[in-house]
Amino acid sequence: MTETRSTARRIGLTVAALGAAIVLSSCATDAPQDTWQPEGQYAQEIHDLQWWVFAIAGAVGVIVFAVVIFVVFKFRDRGQPIPEQSHGNALIECSFIALPAVLLAVIAIPTVGLVIDLNDTDDADCVINVTGQQWWWEYDYPIDANGDICGFTPSVEAAPIVTSGQMVIPTQAKVVIRGTSRDVIHSFWVPKLNGKRDMVPGRVHTWNFQATQPGIFAGQCAEFCGLSHANMRMEIVALDDADFQAWIDNQLEPYESPEEGTLAAAGEATFAAQCARCHQIDGLTDTEGELIIAQPENFVWSGAAPNLTNLMTRNTFAGATWDLLTPACRDDVWEADPDEFGAKYLEGVTADCLNEVELKEWLRDAPAMKPMYADPELLEATDDKTRGMPNLNLSEDQINELVAYLLERK
Amino acid sequence: MALIERPAPDTLTPAVATPESTYGAFRRPVHSTGWKSWLFTIDHKKLGIMYGASALFFFLVGGLEALLIRAQLAGPDGTILSADKYNQMFTMHATTMVFLFVMPMAAAFANYFVPLQIGARDVAFPRINAFGFWCFIFGAIFINTSWILGGAADGGWFMYAPNSSVPFSPTNGIDFWGLGLQITGIASLTGAINLIVTVINMRAPGMTLMKMPIFTWMILVVQFLLLFAIPVITVALFLLMFQRSFDATFFSVEAGADPLLWQHLFWIFGHPEVYILILPSFGIVSEVLPVFSKKPLFGYPLVVFSGVAIGFVGWGVWAHHMFASGLGPISVAVFSVTTMAIAIPTGVKIVNWTMTLWGGKLRFTVAMMFAIGLIVQFTIGGLSGVTHAVAPSDTQQTDTYYIVAHFHYVLFGGAILGIFSGLYYWWPKMFGKVLDENWGKWNFWLMIIGMNLTFGPMHVIGLQGQPRRMYVWTEARAGSGFFDLGFWNLVSSIGSFILGVGVLLFFINVFLSHRRHGPAPLDPWDARSLEWLTTNPPKEHNFDRTPVVGHLDEFFHRKYEDRGVDGHHEFHQVATAEELMAEEEANADSHIHLPSPSYWPILLAFGLPVMAYGVIYNILLIPAGAAIVLMSMFGWSLEPHTASDADYDPPTPEGGAELEVATNG
Repeated sequence: MTETRSTARRIGLTVAALGAAIVLSSCATDAPQDTWQPEGQYAQEIHDLQWWVFAIAGAVGVIVFAVVIFVVFKFRDRGQPIPEQSHGNALIECSFIALPAVLLAVIAIPTVGLVIDLNDTDDADCVINVTGQQWWWEYDYPIDANGDICGFTPSVEAAPIVTSGQMVIPTQAKVVIRGTSRDVIHSFWVPKLNGKRDMVPGRVHTWNFQATQPGIFAGQCAEFCGLSHANMRMEIVALDDADFQAWIDNQLEPYESPEEGTLAAAGEATFAAQCARCHQIDGLTDTEGELIIAQPENFVWSGAAPNLTNLMTRNTFAGATWDLLTPACRDDVWEADPDEFGAKYLEGVTADCLNEVELKEWLRDAPAMKPMYADPELLEATDDKTRGMPNLNLSEDQINELVAYLLERK
Repeated sequence: MALIERPAPDTLTPAVATPESTYGAFRRPVHSTGWKSWLFTIDHKKLGIMYGASALFFFLVGGLEALLIRAQLAGPDGTILSADKYNQMFTMHATTMVFLFVMPMAAAFANYFVPLQIGARDVAFPRINAFGFWCFIFGAIFINTSWILGGAADGGWFMYAPNSSVPFSPTNGIDFWGLGLQITGIASLTGAINLIVTVINMRAPGMTLMKMPIFTWMILVVQFLLLFAIPVITVALFLLMFQRSFDATFFSVEAGADPLLWQHLFWIFGHPEVYILILPSFGIVSEVLPVFSKKPLFGYPLVVFSGVAIGFVGWGVWAHHMFASGLGPISVAVFSVTTMAIAIPTGVKIVNWTMTLWGGKLRFTVAMMFAIGLIVQFTIGGLSGVTHAVAPSDTQQTDTYYIVAHFHYVLFGGAILGIFSGLYYWWPKMFGKVLDENWGKWNFWLMIIGMNLTFGPMHVIGLQGQPRRMYVWTEARAGSGFFDLGFWNLVSSIGSFILGVGVLLFFINVFLSHRRHGPAPLDPWDARSLEWLTTNPPKEHNFDRTPVVGHLDEFFHRKYEDRGVDGHHEFHQVATAEELMAEEEANADSHIHLPSPSYWPILLAFGLPVMAYGVIYNILLIPAGAAIVLMSMFGWSLEPHTASDADYDPPTPEGGAELEVATNG
């Protein structure tokens, strides 16, 4: 679109009727959660239907407004005699019942068809379990009967992958999520790939995703879920098959301790002492060489905290609300061409790209950054468990150590 | 209870013997002026005015809450409100606007005008009417005391479980919310029964149902909706109370509960509630448009039937609030289709209003402008409603600002514009002053511009993916260019302040009009229905003689006569309102019996918040409140409907029941 055309379009839009503005919102650029820019099969099917509905609604609106405006100017009191006291007209009345009925039937038939299509979760290429809790999403990738994960055979020994914030899926595949919640109702919504589906505690809801091209797709919890509802986001990352295979293999790499004597090694001890009671890092051992198993159920009301085993392979933290990448590096990934995207994403977070400022701020006092229910004085209603991460009162040294340690988690 | 006694022979003896006096040392209130005449009144007109005044007060409260919300969202990462306060603010904004403004405002109009429109002297149960009002006001105050008692409810007006349980909302806010709505619910229920009985039993002779004014018809439909919807929310609120205060597990997932139970209960109430909010305004504009078009309502029977149809189908669409909640494709498909179906009777109304204007003799008074404003603005809300009747499309739109835009066009563009139309139209009837038309036009245009700037951009914001109920939005997800969320959020916030100024102009207009204007003419609008066949404001007993009705627009047909021949119509004025009034006064009924004021309704209602505070703070307060309730019921049941002579000071020789015919004012 050339500059002049886009200027002309903007001028046109400012005077356009509301309906037209809504239809044209599909022209928006750079809006990560635009519901009118589908990037996958299901969102596309919704879009193909709603486009016509909006157009019909807009047309009806324009007709109604035109008639009202006409009537207002034509029949204003200019001293004409008292009009006939007519009580109605059966033909007009009946036709205005029939007309909308026909119009709505035209809309209803494809609607019912699409409702049934969208809920068809058979023949999945990939199944991922999604769990919401205040205020982040957990994704776990189960091993299927063939020993595969998400339809791919890992080159190392398969183990379930548990991650959070960003859900990584293979491009083109039909991905079915099985979702639930550990506390209140949340809603999983990535607008460019599909509409939303509530995740309800005690129930398992399925929902489909398919991404046409590699890329990163923004989403946000859409059901009000308490204090930090605004800070509960998610992203779906679509990788082509080779990159997805690489991602799985990387996730399953065995744990490597930091080199002795480094800052990161000190961070490992700090992590084990301060963080590991809630946050799992697979393969982390205590001083006796025993595997440390996190027990968030003792400290957190939902009973879960994000698994940090491969934190730096994803590029967000704290419910996908803050970036692990600096703004420049973030834009580099988000705006990459589809064919370069996979490589850039798989680089993960490098030391140069790490958004140290916000990560440290988070470690210093998490509830100050993201409102959470973690004041130790006020935990009577939850048996002293927090909802969200409390302030751990870490020293600056501990924070530096932890950042060094976490930077190696990829 | 019976209110109207038509002229009767003096020898008639009362069918039921009632005790003479029940107060001992206390005299029954008999004041007709002063604050006590308001506090203990059972006059439907005084109660209507009190309903209206308190509703408008809560309109300002809810508006202030809205402005704080918009101030917070004007820019990214707003800091005016904390997350906690923001959640309280949007919960209470909706609660206030729905339960403490639009519903009581409709009750105000219904109370004041239904008896007048059907030619009755009061409602069927005047003391229950007063009781209902005090339940509303005590419930409303009770809910709002939570602001200073640890924080208001923070779960959203829909209060989804399990987020409403104690671990997720440990303050008492939700307890206040639930118990307070329980009390205001009593107001709605008693009011519903009262008005249904009134409309069914107390219409003037000759007024068949199909000659009943359309406003009264819509109010009748609404009362039936209330009668069936309020019990559902009552049950839900009781479950919530037991969940939070007495450790029940109705919504505890770990005990096997299904959180969707609450959603079904809430929306089976909540969707008819939408029609409870909108139908009174539909009734108002259906009165206003014919008056200022000088034509009868086009297709009156169809407007009546479509109102009734909306009332029925309104029960079959609740799950369209739950398209994303995982109901399964069959349920979703069914509710999707029923939701489309309800657009048909709604569309009928738009067509009939427009056809009422067609060929008319239109006078653009402020009341008329608000009514036409409703047609246009409500149409936008109705059409965006059709877009999310399409369930797959709704899964993209629900819980975004697009929905916020939709229901504000329906409720502000529908319900509230209708209410303002009614205020301008009926103000002279209620207070004997015509509101200033010039100030009124400023009031109208600023409200229209303000509401479109506030809610119009929300369509864009929502379709661009901004969910509702977020205390901040972020630059990172705002996009850029024409559809930049930041820009439209700012426009919306600016619009909300213009809207605020527009609403304030109404109150300025009231103040100035009452200071500057002389008494209103008897029939300022050349109106059509019976409420204008009495003084401004009406006498305490409404009509000097019970009107006998022969036409749908009785008042119009008394003023005008069709002198056309052979299907040609020619209307000529044969009488003025003043002449008609003089005739009524000259032929006044000899016996007009009205019941006397009473202490019991306010006292009985007062016991309820006492019990509610007991549920929250100290269980011993519950029996204390219950004692007040029981004592009041006892006193009430023994009270004669008119005060005995001994209650007057000095005692009147003829008895208090016999009214002097009050002069205007």
